[in-house]
Amino acid sequence: MFTLDRNGSSRKKIFLASLLFMGLAHLVFLKQYIKGAIFAFIEIVVLVTSPFIVRIIGGMITLGEPKPGLTVFEKDHSMFMLIDGIIVLAVLFIFVSLYAISVRGALSTYKEFCALGQLPSYKKIISEMSTKAFPVAALSPLVVLILFFVVVPLVFSASVAFTNYSSPDHIPPNNTVDWVGLDNFKTMFGGDITWTGALGRVAAWTLIWATAATVTCYAGGMLMAVIMHETKLKISPIFRTLFILPYAVPAVVSMLVWQNLLNGSFGTINRTLIELGLMTQETTIPWLSDPTLAKFTVVLINLWAGFPYFMLLTMGSMTAISKETFEAARIDGASRLQVFKSITLPSVIYQTMPLIIMSFTHNINNFGAIFFLTGGNPVVADSTTTSAKGTDIVVTWIYNLTLNLQKYNYAAVLAVCIFVVLAPFAIFNFRRTKSFKEGEL
Amino acid sequence: MTNSEKTPGVPDKIPETKISDAEKIKLAEERADRVERATKMAEERARAAKRKAASFESAASGDYGYAPEPTKTLTYYNTLQRFRTRVYKTFIVIFLTLISLVVLYPLIYAVSAAFSPGRSISATSIIPFGGGFTTKHFVRLFSETNYLLWFKNTLIISAGTSLSTVLVCSLAAYVFSRFRFVFKKSIMLALLILQIFPSFIGMIAIYVILLRINGLDSLWGMVLIYLAGNIPYNTWLVKSYMDSIPRAYDEAARLDGASSARTFFSIILPQAKPIITFLAIVSFTGPWMEFIFAKLILRSNENQTLAVGLFSFVTDRKNEFTLFCAGALIVAIPFVAFFVITQKVLVSSLAGAGVKE
Repeated sequence: MFTLDRNGSSRKKIFLASLLFMGLAHLVFLKQYIKGAIFAFIEIVVLVTSPFIVRIIGGMITLGEPKPGLTVFEKDHSMFMLIDGIIVLAVLFIFVSLYAISVRGALSTYKEFCALGQLPSYKKIISEMSTKAFPVAALSPLVVLILFFVVVPLVFSASVAFTNYSSPDHIPPNNTVDWVGLDNFKTMFGGDITWTGALGRVAAWTLIWATAATVTCYAGGMLMAVIMHETKLKISPIFRTLFILPYAVPAVVSMLVWQNLLNGSFGTINRTLIELGLMTQETTIPWLSDPTLAKFTVVLINLWAGFPYFMLLTMGSMTAISKETFEAARIDGASRLQVFKSITLPSVIYQTMPLIIMSFTHNINNFGAIFFLTGGNPVVADSTTTSAKGTDIVVTWIYNLTLNLQKYNYAAVLAVCIFVVLAPFAIFNFRRTKSFKEGEL
Repeated sequence: MTNSEKTPGVPDKIPETKISDAEKIKLAEERADRVERATKMAEERARAAKRKAASFESAASGDYGYAPEPTKTLTYYNTLQRFRTRVYKTFIVIFLTLISLVVLYPLIYAVSAAFSPGRSISATSIIPFGGGFTTKHFVRLFSETNYLLWFKNTLIISAGTSLSTVLVCSLAAYVFSRFRFVFKKSIMLALLILQIFPSFIGMIAIYVILLRINGLDSLWGMVLIYLAGNIPYNTWLVKSYMDSIPRAYDEAARLDGASSARTFFSIILPQAKPIITFLAIVSFTGPWMEFIFAKLILRSNENQTLAVGLFSFVTDRKNEFTLFCAGALIVAIPFVAFFVITQKVLVSSLAGAGVKE
């Protein structure tokens, strides 16, 4: 019964055995005792801990019961229950993957047996395991870290969007949190006039901001690069070095300096303008305190900080255009403008396209440029309820909702929105990678 | 005389017919006339072509002193061109100077604020270095604040993040580039999609996970967070680079009996040095200015990082703009020096990032 046929008829037997209990096929049929023992041990561990696993997952489904009589430490902490549930699911996910690997491994060993007529020798198994050990060892830190520090938090965030985890009535450990289905989405998308209005305002501003920031920085950077490339001044390197400085200074520093310089009442810029006689104490420009003007200021200051990156980028890709192309155009009698329009611009845009897209997604998530320059200010009508201020973009709003207002459920809804908006960009960038094009993936 | 070199307007042969001598003379004269006209035309054309070529050459080389035939018109033309170019160049220099003033203004002002007496922005002079000179803010930084401690913490976190990111990402990238295995496609796709999320979207969960593994308010906890955040994008970056290293190298090493680990460390890693250096630098500079997690995770004052510490100088309660500038100056100097020194490499590596994939 434990012997195998070479004609492939034992495939079903192997498949069922390996599916029935992890490592069974290895132990009974394929005589790979070490491998089989390891697999079996993993399955035994999972089975032994299964009551615990079931309890944790049950807790994730109920999110705890309110227990009024108990002290804070004895009460059910809904959020810990949710995270523990997700972590256990992640561990189960690894277990299922290992199961799949063991089944596939058993089947491929059997296929080899059919071809060669004998099971792999002990020596061969050892050497095979040592070559396979390297990729496994090299990848495991990545898998573990990504799973527990990226995937679990994101899944948690997405789950919170379907609960009522928020201040003041549903903050553990004093109160429990419950699943509420799509209620938060309903509130945000039309259910509550204040929240819907704030979401519409912030979402529109985020898109305008990301577009304006990317376009201004790109155009500004390209203008500088082309001017310096075309005129070939002897002192261009000095200018280039000067222009790199805003890029080199960390954003926290430069944005906080700008915030102070632009301060309405005691900022240096307004004081200078008063000294020059261009305005009086009463007519100072509210750079960062007028909701409309603040938006312009933010884009403008971001241009200051962002154009060097695109200047360097354009310079780099312009050196990649062959000199012959320029010469040929010159000989054909093309003017400077024509050369720029039909040679420089198209090739630079073609080369920098993925980086423009990356810059757009980066600007949608550009926390630093907003938070350190304006802190989201100025305050507008609905700011006290929603904590969304005049220049807040979605990510800074998430920050405010989480740390100031503790409306975790709404913050999670926004995170889901960011996913929906940005996922197409990721897929676009993926489709144009070399490995995708070459059919490797 | 080939056909193409033929003088235009002159037939090869005059038809031989029986005509009178007078007529013959007349015809000959006419013919000579035509030849003369044609030659003149050809000369004119050649001159025009030459002029045109000269003007291109001078436009390309920027040398307007070259005139093929020093006629009056051409000299005038060249002077005009030279004048126009001068005006154009002067205009560009003025424009670039104005831009650099705008670019430099806040930076110069911040440097001057670091050395000026007074505490808040309102106490500083509006003219850079106009309000006196003092180094007392630097003294205060090291004597009254935890600046040195924050600097040390940040250095430890950055070095840890940089080292671990290079190790984890390059190993994983090597495996993705050279091995075939189950779930390879799924893992790579997952990394690509995860890479678009700013990691602070999951900050509450990260907080709880660190709480569970006793990593709150610790430097290694920060390293773990930054490392995990760095992995998705950078693994792809290094993998794409390693794909371009010829496989013949590692096959040769394998034939000589080298193990996978040996091949990686002694063949692939040296070959991938440019991207590894880039990765090391980028992941080293990141933590210096990261704010959200540093604020959330590092609760005690002794464990704070520079970004949080500096930010605390200019919040509403404490308005120490000059102290902030002094502290920021010390951090910014190495950053600026690094960028200025490596700008050439930066240009090509940024372009490379655009061209690749």
